[in-house]
Amino acid sequence: MEPVLLRARGVPDSRAVDTYLSAGGYQGLRKALLLGPDAVTKEVLDSDLRGRGGAGFPTGRKWTFVPKDHPGPRYLICNADESEPGTFKDREIIEHDPHMVLEGIAIASYAIRANTAYIYIRGEFVRWARILEQAIAEARARGFLGPDVLGSGYGLDIWVHRGAGAYICGEETALIESIEGKRGFPRLKPPFPAVVGVFGKPTVVNNVETLACVPHIIERGAAWFASIGRPKNTGPKLFCVSGHVRRPGVVELPLGVTFREIIEEHCGGIRDGHTLKAFFPGGSSAPVMTAAEVDVRADFDACAEAGTMLGSGGVIVLDDSVDMVGAAANLAHFYAHESCGQCTPCREGSDWCMDILDRILDGRGRAEDPETLLRICRFASQGMTICPLGDAFALPISSIVKKFHEELESAIRRAAPRPQSKLPVLPWNGPRPGFGA
Amino acid sequence: MSTAPIAATPPEQLQSVVFDATLEGRIRELLSRYPTTRAALLPVLWLCQERYGWISPGVVRAVAERLGESPATVDGVVTFYTMFYTSPPARYVLQVCETLSCAVCGGAELLHHLEKRLGVKAGEKTADGLFQIVGVQCLGACGSAPVVQVNDDYYENLTLERLDALLDELAGRS
Amino acid sequence: MPKVTIDGREVEVAPGTNLIEAARAAGVDVPYFCYHPHLSIVGQCRICMVEIVGQPRLAIACATPATDGMVVKSDSSERVKEARNAVMEFLLANHPLDCPVCDQAGECLLQDHSLSDGTDLTHMVETRRTFPGYERRLIGPHVVQNQNRCIHCSRCIRFTQEISETAALTYKSRGNRAFIATHDGRPFDDPFSACAADVCPVGALTVREFRFRKRAWRLRSTPSVCPGCSIGCNLWLDHHERVAYRFTPRENPGINATWLCDHGRFLAEHANHQHVLHPQRRSGGQGSRVGWAEALRALALELKAVRTLRVVASANLTNESLFLARELFVRQFKAEMVVPAHVGEARRIKNARGEWLHSVDAHPNSTGARRLGLTVVDAEGLARFLYGAADLTLILDTAAHPFLASDEALQLLRVGPTAACGRVDHPLNHVAGWLLPTPSLASEEGTFTSSTGAVQRVEPAWAPAGEARPSWSVLALLARESGLSAFDLPGPAHVFSLISSREKAFAGLEWEKLGGLTATSFRERQHVG
Repeated sequence: MEPVLLRARGVPDSRAVDTYLSAGGYQGLRKALLLGPDAVTKEVLDSDLRGRGGAGFPTGRKWTFVPKDHPGPRYLICNADESEPGTFKDREIIEHDPHMVLEGIAIASYAIRANTAYIYIRGEFVRWARILEQAIAEARARGFLGPDVLGSGYGLDIWVHRGAGAYICGEETALIESIEGKRGFPRLKPPFPAVVGVFGKPTVVNNVETLACVPHIIERGAAWFASIGRPKNTGPKLFCVSGHVRRPGVVELPLGVTFREIIEEHCGGIRDGHTLKAFFPGGSSAPVMTAAEVDVRADFDACAEAGTMLGSGGVIVLDDSVDMVGAAANLAHFYAHESCGQCTPCREGSDWCMDILDRILDGRGRAEDPETLLRICRFASQGMTICPLGDAFALPISSIVKKFHEELESAIRRAAPRPQSKLPVLPWNGPRPGFGA
Repeated sequence: MSTAPIAATPPEQLQSVVFDATLEGRIRELLSRYPTTRAALLPVLWLCQERYGWISPGVVRAVAERLGESPATVDGVVTFYTMFYTSPPARYVLQVCETLSCAVCGGAELLHHLEKRLGVKAGEKTADGLFQIVGVQCLGACGSAPVVQVNDDYYENLTLERLDALLDELAGRS
Repeated sequence: MPKVTIDGREVEVAPGTNLIEAARAAGVDVPYFCYHPHLSIVGQCRICMVEIVGQPRLAIACATPATDGMVVKSDSSERVKEARNAVMEFLLANHPLDCPVCDQAGECLLQDHSLSDGTDLTHMVETRRTFPGYERRLIGPHVVQNQNRCIHCSRCIRFTQEISETAALTYKSRGNRAFIATHDGRPFDDPFSACAADVCPVGALTVREFRFRKRAWRLRSTPSVCPGCSIGCNLWLDHHERVAYRFTPRENPGINATWLCDHGRFLAEHANHQHVLHPQRRSGGQGSRVGWAEALRALALELKAVRTLRVVASANLTNESLFLARELFVRQFKAEMVVPAHVGEARRIKNARGEWLHSVDAHPNSTGARRLGLTVVDAEGLARFLYGAADLTLILDTAAHPFLASDEALQLLRVGPTAACGRVDHPLNHVAGWLLPTPSLASEEGTFTSSTGAVQRVEPAWAPAGEARPSWSVLALLARESGLSAFDLPGPAHVFSLISSREKAFAGLEWEKLGGLTATSFRERQHVG
């Protein structure tokens, strides 16, 4: 397919506003201002665009949840917290085409009648925060942002707000708390952000890639967008492929391609001398898939049918050199480090899983460990926690326990610790338990 | 690309902090972006870390005072996030990504190599205060694993040789 | 009014009531740790899971409002039991289980819910997470922290943010490594600091003054009112074998919600002081022990004999005592009587609506005195009062005002015969011709009128030490000796019914209904008698 979201990749000076304009940039915004907010929302609804941040919720529907008659301010937040392991697509868009994101923000803000938008970008992305700030300044200077956008009378300010190192702030209500200057504790829902969001006002939080789709939908029409991909799984999607493929990176493909196509045709296949063992289809929080499942289609519904999820489209490819128990332990470390600590099952469960898996790797496994891991995962997920972080660690770990049961059993039977160099897992760093901060 | 070193203000100079006019001006500008004072907390902490190199208890008190929050509240925010330094960092903080994609693509080797070459463990500073190794969670650059972030800058697709060259360059410049 | 069914019991509740409170009203206990009726709802601990028929997932009762027709299963649901078992196991995974050496034992929600909602096994075999150096740390003048026991409910933090407004406590770090801390190790300096330990459901924060003095299950709790200022915070006097160990807040939404200031709370120890143990007669500089009968008879004779009588009453006395004093001394013997009130330090408390109530003085019943038509005076007024000459001066409470202990007061009182009631060492004890022992609040019974206007009952925890007699009874007996049988009443309840029938300010009030406790009053430490 022709590149849509990645069309600027490889274009010289692609970040400059003039480059963007010469590629037809900001035409979507012009058109949107003529259509009016409701028609814009309808177009996005008709396109069947689903959120690219992980949940796959229909974007247009999310916008319609904002109460129309709300008198006070509303806000749009662009979620550029990109922290899901295996995900690095938003960075790619911002690196090559920041104005596409700004145009998407402007159109979305207009649709929900917000006059202020924040881009919440993860703290580590210093370079990309600067790129965005520069692009905002350019867009303002050209009248695409500011008190009177393109002479329409509609005003919009966009501010870049940097996170400071917390995976959980990718969750939209934790992100909102973080913007408010608080610890990133996800909020109880209801109320949902569309009704009570940042600063207590109606707020829509959309992912960078989601918003980057919007100018194209408005400019080229919902039907064009819906013609890409499969029914209800429409449009181009960025797949972030990492791990043991020959050519890792971000590829743009229609939703609904198979993971085999992604891995073999677009990323050069598995590195020499090895075969595919497993892959995480949508970031590390998705249940793991085995090599036998590589023909599953990469879209929201097909993944759900296969018992996993498309998530953010972060495909982590693991070949036969990988010790799956080590992989599980590695992820357990990640989630234990990133659990905000509010909810008992997630706070205690993620840490507990980590301890069990570390102990197995240390050659001190116990016969009951698989069962205990599954029990922890069961009671840390499916509504046992405020936000989905409980599910996020429970799903990959429980799926590894189930799908790689024999590997786990044999690791448990092994008496002596394995040599450190064979482990893909690093020792826990910093003063365990991170105490004395 | 040349990574700027961190110049951490010594603790004894940060016991009682007064913001100068430049900093105060930038704080006022930040406050104008948000409807609440507290929302400026993260940006103001970033400003302070840029200025002082780290967030000392004295800085916490000054920020708390300026934004009308209690120092404990500011502490809670500072320590929730991993990127605010609560003790003076080295000039170059080598943040080695440990999460899955990097881990399976040589991240562990990078870390072990750094520990061996610098003679300190993850979390520690070298005696000359030049380098500090920190193991961090996913940096969001998995397609170019393994990745090390040095201060604000990403170094991607690293090999042991490239890492050595980077360290040589940083050490040479200092 | 929504009607809900919880474990088969139907109950009607006010709109917006959450399922924990609705269940409580239905007589069903839903376990919780992070929920507190006077703090914001955070839904963190996850133990209050209930099944709502028709909903696929379990819901947390704290954050779910009861709606009409809702059918809820708590203990009657297997899914709920399983989930709560799991949450208990999670909570205990890193808890030190050091109950034998934990001062919270016996009044610990973790213990209670472990029995009601836990299992007797754990799958946990890992090394427990600990917080070295934070096992026994005095974090403020009154609060001791043991971070290893913390279950991350955040109640203490929310208390300092929402109620005391100091925001002096916070979590540092995050996840399972998060711990409670003050800024930079500074003292937990909060005028309500001990409430942070009250709301702690486990032994992570305990009160220094109470630690290891008594096992909680030995304590008996008597409803009382704080003597520390005029606000009249409701409290439990927790005691064992005639020793008061502590005051803990007793719920009263209109006054103190479930809070107490540190000043008032730590007056509990004063309830144990009883230095004056029997009536004394002092003449020629020598005190000698006498019997009550002798003392009262002699005093009654003096009352009749003197031409000018002046009485210093006290805003620490109950309405019943003040009423009897007024009837006896002012009405019968035409005495001049004042009630001194010391303004003291400003105190405040937050009620359940989040409003601050402020003290007017340092006494529990100056408002009652005013409503009984008595003259309330300050130090200057008291001095002026004592300057006047009198044949006999009666001091009904040596602790009525700090001025009474001043050299100036003593000089004034040495001028003529003086009789005093009191319980602790006091300079007046060496001046008064008659010294009558009255007990502390712990042995008084009656009512106080708070400066918010509420008439509130205090109940006696134990009989007075030595030969001390409650003030009302001293006055009633004196009335009998003086031949005023109308005021020789068998108990404060009878005095109160007389007050409510005669005094406008008390009209319509009934003794039995003044307790301040209802069936739905929030009380976490349920085991205390």
